Amino acid sequence: MKKIYLDHAATTSTDPAVLEAMIPWFRDRFGNPSSPHTFGREGRAAVETAREKVAALLGAGPMEVVFASGGTESDTMALWGVARALRDRGNHIVVSSVEHHAVLEPCRELAGEGFEITQLPVDANGMVDPDDAARALTHRTILVSVMHANNEIGTIQPVAEIARLAHAKGIYVHTDAVQTFGHVPFTVDEIEADLLSLSAHKLYGPKGVGALFIRKGIRIAPLLRGGGQERGRRASTENVPGIVGLGRAAEVARENMAGEAAELARLRERLIEGIRERIEGLRFNGHPERRLPGNVSVSFEGVEAEPLLLTLDLMGIACSGGSACSSTSVEVSHVLSAIGREAGMARGTIRFSLGRETSEEDIDRVLEVLPPVVKRLRAAGRKGTEARQNA
Amino acid sequence: MRNRVAVAVSGGVDSSVAALLLKEQGHEVVGITMCLGVAAEEGGHTKCCGPQEIEDARRVCAILDVPHYTMDFSRDLEEDVVKPFVEEYRIGRTPNPCVACNRFIKFGTLLEKATAMGFDCLATGHYAGIARRDGKPLLMRSGETRKDQTYFLHAIRRETLERIRFPLAALMKDQVRRLAREKGLPVSDKPESQDICFIPKTGYGAFLRCRGIEMKPGEFVDRKGTLLGGHPGFALYTPGQRARLGGRAGDPLYVLAIDVKKNRVIVGDKADLLARGLIADRVNLLVDELPARAVAKIRYAHRGVPSSAALDGDRLRVVFDEPQEAITPGQSVVLYDGDVVLGGGIIREALT
Repeated sequence: MKKIYLDHAATTSTDPAVLEAMIPWFRDRFGNPSSPHTFGREGRAAVETAREKVAALLGAGPMEVVFASGGTESDTMALWGVARALRDRGNHIVVSSVEHHAVLEPCRELAGEGFEITQLPVDANGMVDPDDAARALTHRTILVSVMHANNEIGTIQPVAEIARLAHAKGIYVHTDAVQTFGHVPFTVDEIEADLLSLSAHKLYGPKGVGALFIRKGIRIAPLLRGGGQERGRRASTENVPGIVGLGRAAEVARENMAGEAAELARLRERLIEGIRERIEGLRFNGHPERRLPGNVSVSFEGVEAEPLLLTLDLMGIACSGGSACSSTSVEVSHVLSAIGREAGMARGTIRFSLGRETSEEDIDRVLEVLPPVVKRLRAAGRKGTEARQNA
Repeated sequence: MRNRVAVAVSGGVDSSVAALLLKEQGHEVVGITMCLGVAAEEGGHTKCCGPQEIEDARRVCAILDVPHYTMDFSRDLEEDVVKPFVEEYRIGRTPNPCVACNRFIKFGTLLEKATAMGFDCLATGHYAGIARRDGKPLLMRSGETRKDQTYFLHAIRRETLERIRFPLAALMKDQVRRLAREKGLPVSDKPESQDICFIPKTGYGAFLRCRGIEMKPGEFVDRKGTLLGGHPGFALYTPGQRARLGGRAGDPLYVLAIDVKKNRVIVGDKADLLARGLIADRVNLLVDELPARAVAKIRYAHRGVPSSAALDGDRLRVVFDEPQEAITPGQSVVLYDGDVVLGGGIIREALT
């Protein structure tokens, strides 16, 4: 049975070119970039070359890129770092209600330390209204954090518009771009971000490495202190192989991104239209146009996502429920609640996220397998309800 | 015939060996661990499906080389088992949640989901069996009489028997442990779980209290209504239980019944516990017709007593050949003909 992977928003395969680039840095080129000797210096050169590559894809300066362990650390660094650095200026942070938990959870911690957190609502498509953001800003606001694209429903946010409003009041803007970096062409100047989180394993790079873009001049306190690496902004010996992999992945993305995004959007529409034609009683989630090229989020009436995912997996199709992080408990996703999906529909939501190796045959296989499975599960659901009523 | 079998694996030795046996018989096996985590509420955390149990189940499935999934049944447990359990206590009964769980969850929602997922049948590590007579499946007592779990299984819908497998039917507990050890399953020596999975270590009282059952002090009275002392809340008492009334000399007293309206616990001598029969409702039959004579079991640890049984509308009337102690409303009565489970019901009242 051919296995079809449609969960690229959870993680991607490692590009062979990325793997190849990393291998020497696991083997004999093991030097610590902080060491002044030959071993160290070649490690330093590798890290700085990778930094240039990541910066190039961001349209940023290399010194504005700080390597970290991934998206979660980058988000935490941005929120905590700014909160600590600007505590004297204010205690108010504005975020969207559909942020990743890597943003929402640090906010909850900060709320416990006396920060005020405003969560911006979203419309039925999952979009933040910049006017809402403008109204939320006060003289105590120090940071606005609105994700570039939502991991569950794929909606791309108007980060630039929000940033303009924030910047008019001298407020920093952070965006979690884990889902868009290397997938959607943009620069940090176009979206006017001061801080931006990214992660390597979402763009065919290795797990355990990511970066935070910190625009020059932004005040931020370090999360990790120690040996002063990353110019004092993130202590810890550099993950040289990982950083090299991230750099190479950014380089590959820069070459292929535009063509890849167009092809993914075509396949995405084929999947959406195909599902729409074959199955009734469903809703697609997220903005119809302003969305990630590879994201399809769909809620089925009268079906629970969990048995649907397991059945598809047993038939060789890997996709996801709301998101991959809460895999053993079926809590209703905060994103689906925020766009107004009622709990039943929200529990019947699955996400297909397409990627580089997705083919038209894969999409057609899903369209062949999915309708009968949904039908069977719906029938079982009805049977369960009847059995309970006859109890 | 090679079947696609879903096995409910809990991380314990019984379900692990059930999966092992099915795999060795050549079936296509998938392990499913039911996550029953009662919503994080004070005093409501479960021990049966904690991270360690899920990890044990995953390791066993990895050793057996079968896919393993966890599925969340916490909402089902809450709606179909925990809430009714609490409501029964509120009206002075002593419910048996395992009976409800088997009917509504394991052989209800899980079985229906497994069927919809394309499985031919669902297997569990219960000590019970299924036999065929005249082409129809029958629920059978396990040969391992000390472990037989059919008491908890009597309420499962008859139509589901076709799709249920009990691979441990012919095995004794020590054989099960030996098989697990021989195959190097890391759960071979795990202790048995005895308690109700969703009751926290803090006990019934604390659990019921945090579920909104008021514990109002009331009176202990004898059958004539004579006041004998005070009790801290009737939900803590069950018929047949020793009633400890402080500072009282003489023969021990036992709980006979609970009078919810008057918030009284009625107590009496051991002899007062005896009843000649019972009335049950929510009757579930697992055979075409209920015979006039059967052996009735009135609680899990009960040996069973020869009885006359008859349906009266949707109720079941059981008259014991010998009077029995401690008929407990809310518990089950299960009827047997030899090793065949005929069915059962939920005890409503004793016939005195």
